[in-house]
Amino acid sequence: MALLVVENLTKDFGGLRANDGICFGVEEGELVGLIGPNGAGKTTLFHCISGHYPVTSGKIFFSGEDITGLQAHEVARRGLARTFQVYAAVGDLTVQEYVMVGAFLRTRSRARAKARAQWILGEMGLMDRAGRLLTEIPVPAQKLVTMAMAVATEPRLLLLDEVAAGLNPQEVEELKDTIRHVHKDLGITVILIEHVMALVMDISHRVIVLDAGKKIAEGLPAQIAADPLVIKAYLGERYAQTEG
Amino acid sequence: MAIEVLVASLVAGLLIGMVLALVALGLTIIFGVMDIVNFAHGEFLMVGMYTGLLVAQGAGMEPLLSLPMAALVGFVLGWLCYFLFVKFLLRGPMVAQLLGTFGLMLFLRNLALLLFGSEDRAIHHGLLVGKSLSLGMGVSVPATKLAAAVLAVSAFGAVWLLINRTKVGKALQATALNAQGARYMGIPTDRMNGLAWGIGGATVTIAGALLVNFWAVNPYVGLLFTMLAFTIVALGGFGSVPGAFLAGLVVGLITEIPGLWDSISLGLGWRWMMDVPMTSFKYTWVYLAYFVIMLARPKGLFGWKR
Amino acid sequence: MEALRNALDFSDFPHTDLLVAGILAALLVAFPLVPYSSFAMATMIQFLMFSIYGMGWNTIGGYGGQVDLGKAQYVGIGAYTTAVMLTRWEVPFWVSMPVGMGLAVGWSFIIGYPLFKLKGHYFAIATIATSLVLKDLFEVWDFVGAARGLHISPVKYPPPDFLRLIFKEDVYYYYFLLAFFFLGILVINWFRHSRLGFQLRAIRDNEDVARSLGINVHWAKIKTYALATAFVSAVGSFHAVYIKNIEPEDTMSLDISVLIALMAMLGGAGSLWGPIIGAGILIPLKSYLKEWLGAKAGLIGIDLILYAVIIMLVSAVEPRGIWGLLDRLRKTRSR
Repeated sequence: MALLVVENLTKDFGGLRANDGICFGVEEGELVGLIGPNGAGKTTLFHCISGHYPVTSGKIFFSGEDITGLQAHEVARRGLARTFQVYAAVGDLTVQEYVMVGAFLRTRSRARAKARAQWILGEMGLMDRAGRLLTEIPVPAQKLVTMAMAVATEPRLLLLDEVAAGLNPQEVEELKDTIRHVHKDLGITVILIEHVMALVMDISHRVIVLDAGKKIAEGLPAQIAADPLVIKAYLGERYAQTEG
Repeated sequence: MAIEVLVASLVAGLLIGMVLALVALGLTIIFGVMDIVNFAHGEFLMVGMYTGLLVAQGAGMEPLLSLPMAALVGFVLGWLCYFLFVKFLLRGPMVAQLLGTFGLMLFLRNLALLLFGSEDRAIHHGLLVGKSLSLGMGVSVPATKLAAAVLAVSAFGAVWLLINRTKVGKALQATALNAQGARYMGIPTDRMNGLAWGIGGATVTIAGALLVNFWAVNPYVGLLFTMLAFTIVALGGFGSVPGAFLAGLVVGLITEIPGLWDSISLGLGWRWMMDVPMTSFKYTWVYLAYFVIMLARPKGLFGWKR
Repeated sequence: MEALRNALDFSDFPHTDLLVAGILAALLVAFPLVPYSSFAMATMIQFLMFSIYGMGWNTIGGYGGQVDLGKAQYVGIGAYTTAVMLTRWEVPFWVSMPVGMGLAVGWSFIIGYPLFKLKGHYFAIATIATSLVLKDLFEVWDFVGAARGLHISPVKYPPPDFLRLIFKEDVYYYYFLLAFFFLGILVINWFRHSRLGFQLRAIRDNEDVARSLGINVHWAKIKTYALATAFVSAVGSFHAVYIKNIEPEDTMSLDISVLIALMAMLGGAGSLWGPIIGAGILIPLKSYLKEWLGAKAGLIGIDLILYAVIIMLVSAVEPRGIWGLLDRLRKTRSR
């Protein structure tokens, strides 16, 4: 049974159709990439799946259960976590405290939340930043923290939204390792939205491509890279040109 | 008899509603342009009322002619408040803004107390005082209220024209929609903010000068109108000028409900109705209406997404 | 239990802070042992009351970032419950206070549910509206004495009456309140270490992110609001037996609501000590300004003018309050 099934998902904003009849499934244990030009509707799709946006039509099944229309916190409780592109961090929480908030989903005890947070921070190489304020650490580390917060909720499925944006190649490599670690060793199924092709093509088992709200291709990374529809959508994308 | 009572209430409600709409106009403009809620708004009204009073008593001028004076005072007051104080509040969190303008409210209120003492003061002379206009059906309206309503609507219309048909007004709108974008286009945000406060101040002081013709002024009169203005702005949607007008009318009508209730209960002779002390609850209905309407339409009747 | 350990855990404060807190606590306990004027004692009692009000507000307003300007209604519920139960049925304070809290908390759940569907300024105004509606209600409700209010006559209950908390000397009130004060600090300390406290801070930061972490934002806000209400109502009950004269205009006005919020904001909303610092500065300031300046003939209102100017200065210069200032100073010194 697939972990996530998206069935004919459509999302309209007034006259604008951001997602148009999208269908796909993700099996447990997969690492799936979600790519597409800007404005293709990738983040909107995430918002619909995670319950932050109500869908216009279509269904979403998680672990066999129909979660369409559930509120965001209900979805998270069922084991579907995500990161966001933008965090307007105003507050005074430290890195560790942020991760603890995630951990508090599964426990009432501060001691246990703290322990779990520290463990995750260790796994993701963030221990040295644990006591710093989120706003005070460099951007790549902030992205890792957003991942850590989501991982702390003990999800079965993790949606990563452009966590590699703005990173230099070295940082992207490190991020790759971290994602692989989270996926393999922590046993979390991952879907990631990415523009950094070097990352997403390298680690994904499978890639789904969106353009103008519709799914235009789905397959192995190599297939996708050679797919003329995809190349057309990404006209000018250097990776497709050099590798395809 | 019943129809006359109903019509009288309707008319009274609409008239006061128009003045209230003007009171709320300034608040919604200020909020539209820079996202700050002015707790001291009612105190600006009070300043307008005292200005109207002083000009009428001191200069012996016909009260309704004191409007330009009040507008000037209001504009200057708003402008100064922005540049000397509010400007610095904008950087902070909402709680600081609310409390900052609350401090301003206390400041103005107690300054008035110091300068004028706490007794009620009202205007007792003037062209229209004591005169009424008959609208047929046995309904008559005090001339002062009618004049105030007409002038209020005119002022409202003038401001609407200013905002929608002049270059300055368009600049204000631009700043309201996207301050940063407006700045890139060469529109000076600071001056726009100051202008918004100036216009906001001027409109509410005009309303005050109109109001003082039939409503006594004392240093404490501000709070009630601040709350009414807030309610109107929230109902009409923060930042919406037409919303403020309609909501003002609605609120004006709501304040007439207790009077209507009393009349109906007297007419029907039902004791239980007469025992309900509705008139003490006049403004309570406004607050309740706020609550109910906000729940049904959390963005107000016309507000944009805030 | 872990909750108790959390309540007593002050370990995340630097030692200097704890030392200062300890000294101040000792001074508070020792205060009545030195000669004091009745004015000073009254001011100290006000300080303690508003500290506790502020601490309560701080949970939803400071940590939670939801600007609630309608707490005065709960002062009223607490005060009136105690006053009514005392004057009509001679009920001891120790019963009427929990009953008052129960009523207040119950009411807070009822209006909290719809209230928290609103955000930002709409929410703030709605809190003011509900508080004013309740005040208006009390002003016409004969059962609670309408606008005249209620009067508790100490003659009927010869002091010292520990059951009903009627005393002749203020010092008894002082120590009882001080106990509440210390208890309040422990409760807030528990709160900030608790799951709810962490959730509130995440909510304040970014509600969507909080939701994605499984937090039921609406419900968390309501729960915290109820907690804040419990604090306020308890002190409201105390207010009734201390002042012995309550009326809606005094206990339930907008000024009271704003004052409560002000304590926390001035001292530092969202920090444990903030409301106490805020009250510690504002209450004596207000009292002594009134004492020295307010009484002068022809200068009525000047004390409040100064008071207003101070409020304006703090909100414009350091919106994070005194605690924020101290924090800033500390950071620059450690660089």
